[in-house]
Amino acid sequence: MGEIVVTGMGAITSIGLTIAENLRSLQQENSGIKKAKHFKSRYAESLFFGEIDQNDEALLSELGLEQGQGYTRTTLIAIKAFREAIAHAQLSPEEIASGRTAFISSSTVGGMCYTDDLYNDANLRGVPSEYIKSYEGSDHALRIVRLHNMKGITDVINTACSSSANAIALGARLLETGKADRVIAGGSDCLAKFTVNGFNSLRILSEEPCKPFDTNREGLSLGEAAAYIVLERREDVKDLRKIQAIFAGFGICNDAFHPSATSNDARGPRMAMELALKRAALKPSDIGYINAHGTGTPNNDITESYAFSKLFDKVPPFSSTKSYVGHTLAAAGAIEAIYSILTIRNQEIYPSLRVQEPIADFPFKPVLHYTPETEIKHVLSNSFGFGGNCTSLIFSACI
Amino acid sequence: MYIKDLYAISPQKTHDLSFEQGDWQVLNQYAYTAIEPSYQDLIPNAQLRRMGKAVRMGIGVSLPLLARNPKPDGIIFGTANGGLEDCIKFLNQIVEYNEGTLTPTNFVQSTPNALAGQVALLSENQGYNMTHVNGSLAFESALLDAALYFDEHSPTEKSILLGAVEEISDYNYNIDYLGNRFKEELVPNNDLLNSRTNGSYCGEGSTQFILSNNPENSLARFSALKQSSTLSEEEITDFVQSFLAEQNLSPAGIDCLLLGKNGDVSTDLWYDKVQNSFPGTPVAFFKKAVGEYRTVSAFASYLAVRLLNRQAGYLIENGATENPRTILIYNHFDAVRHSLILIQK
Repeated sequence: MGEIVVTGMGAITSIGLTIAENLRSLQQENSGIKKAKHFKSRYAESLFFGEIDQNDEALLSELGLEQGQGYTRTTLIAIKAFREAIAHAQLSPEEIASGRTAFISSSTVGGMCYTDDLYNDANLRGVPSEYIKSYEGSDHALRIVRLHNMKGITDVINTACSSSANAIALGARLLETGKADRVIAGGSDCLAKFTVNGFNSLRILSEEPCKPFDTNREGLSLGEAAAYIVLERREDVKDLRKIQAIFAGFGICNDAFHPSATSNDARGPRMAMELALKRAALKPSDIGYINAHGTGTPNNDITESYAFSKLFDKVPPFSSTKSYVGHTLAAAGAIEAIYSILTIRNQEIYPSLRVQEPIADFPFKPVLHYTPETEIKHVLSNSFGFGGNCTSLIFSACI
Repeated sequence: MYIKDLYAISPQKTHDLSFEQGDWQVLNQYAYTAIEPSYQDLIPNAQLRRMGKAVRMGIGVSLPLLARNPKPDGIIFGTANGGLEDCIKFLNQIVEYNEGTLTPTNFVQSTPNALAGQVALLSENQGYNMTHVNGSLAFESALLDAALYFDEHSPTEKSILLGAVEEISDYNYNIDYLGNRFKEELVPNNDLLNSRTNGSYCGEGSTQFILSNNPENSLARFSALKQSSTLSEEEITDFVQSFLAEQNLSPAGIDCLLLGKNGDVSTDLWYDKVQNSFPGTPVAFFKKAVGEYRTVSAFASYLAVRLLNRQAGYLIENGATENPRTILIYNHFDAVRHSLILIQK
């Protein structure tokens, strides 16, 4: 089977409503982790969030969707990023609707993002809300499928924070096995009281904007985002200028250690990276940059660093772009895949922001400043989730 | 994909296999709750108390299957909602304690991938691990994932633990009730399909399979699968016919039909249309046994394997099949998401 290539990208995050805006913020080291303007929660005052700077009404109207139809924020940002990706890949409505086009999405909070409406509906208080049929994790995907009359394979994955990395891997597998001719893969998660309180109860939220790979890191900052990429087989792409990067391989495994922490010897993360390298037929020394999982929690950053130290003789440049957009949960894998592709396309590295004192236990440190004019052929992108789910993706320059 | 082993906890007595022998539960209730076995010998009490029902039922099925089969190379689950009880317990705390200091147990348990993660943890399985949450096609998505896995690794012998789980909680019952998915009045499951009213009854359970690409000593195989979320009522017959044609089968080649008819007068017509394409074909209606839920097609697949091995034959409604070799399952949810699964001996 030939190569799998990326032919389109779409993203909406706290640092940009489009890919172009995201790129500009990445280059200018503009962090999106701020005080929330739209998100209503007790923690909106005290914590910092990677919030998309557009309220639901503005999104609905920009997307030309009718009010009162149960479109949740998860769905709205998903539709926005999906449309950008299919336009970028120049897919026609017929191609999108075709039975040979697959759509693989992912979300963790899914349709359960309006905590108070859900509370009332689940407890039979008052009249049913407009979201009564929107609560499933897959609602956003079903709506996109129905809006575009998509007849091909559809799926939604939830492996917590590795969800959309797995969606991309599944998409590539559908192409490799000939079950689809083009795939739109990614994920969407919006800020919700549910996740904010969940992560808060685990005491892994940072009171300051997160600083992954800093010795004094306190935890993660949550963000919201949606991101999709279009994957095709290289031999099917007529206009080669459409090709953004090669999707070279992936590794998926389970850490099998703890429901919400990574093992000390980082066996899962290591295995995921090793499997990805094997599948891409690359050596560790071929990797020019790692877009780390780098959540900013004490546990993740130390175990991920340990995994780097074991796998690489010389650890390549690495950073966590979660320092720009926060941890966007199910969307993180796809956002970071896109940032990895931008790294390759522009031959530049986007840093880990706010690192003052890199973790001292290791002889390497993250990239601390925007670094243009580098030479990067292969990028490794990590995503590790609760439940022990570990996924690594590799993207390569197209020559 | 060959089925080496299977096990289910369901509203029927599948946990001790008496359902297969003809021990039929007449259900006269709104919620078809699962009949759970004692987990005493499987799960330590301290752990058991903390587990939500979805995780508990799921592990209650996984552990016996893993104990009597070689360690699988991967674990794949499909669940529309995962541990909803935990999820909404946590949500209630958020609202009732005004986002105060909460305990994380419910939150960690509520993530749909908690089950696949727990099974990996308990059985020390670092292999491929995936959770599909594609609504009422979540089991079909898990099945497709398993098929891809075998495709990719052929001819090396591989095995997969494939499963589905769904739980009834007060909350999801309320939500689906407000969504007009359940009946107001009560009729026993035996009369479910004659009720002539809207909605159905809510079911739950976990069904799991050990799959392998080695046909030796297999009970049956998953031969083919098709899904759609965009069909109109006029298209359903063609959808089924084209699926059969892709498999080089005619309607006469189907020995038994398993239909997801659930007694909802507004959407049962779709099943009638499909059944009309198979004149005289023996049929079984699996939701009379276990009710309606989003991964019920996993139970239908379980039943198909039993029928192919000459068990549970009493469920076939219109004439017995002598020795069925090919079974077709058609299921839909809300007449929106549709699936066909072909299981053969």
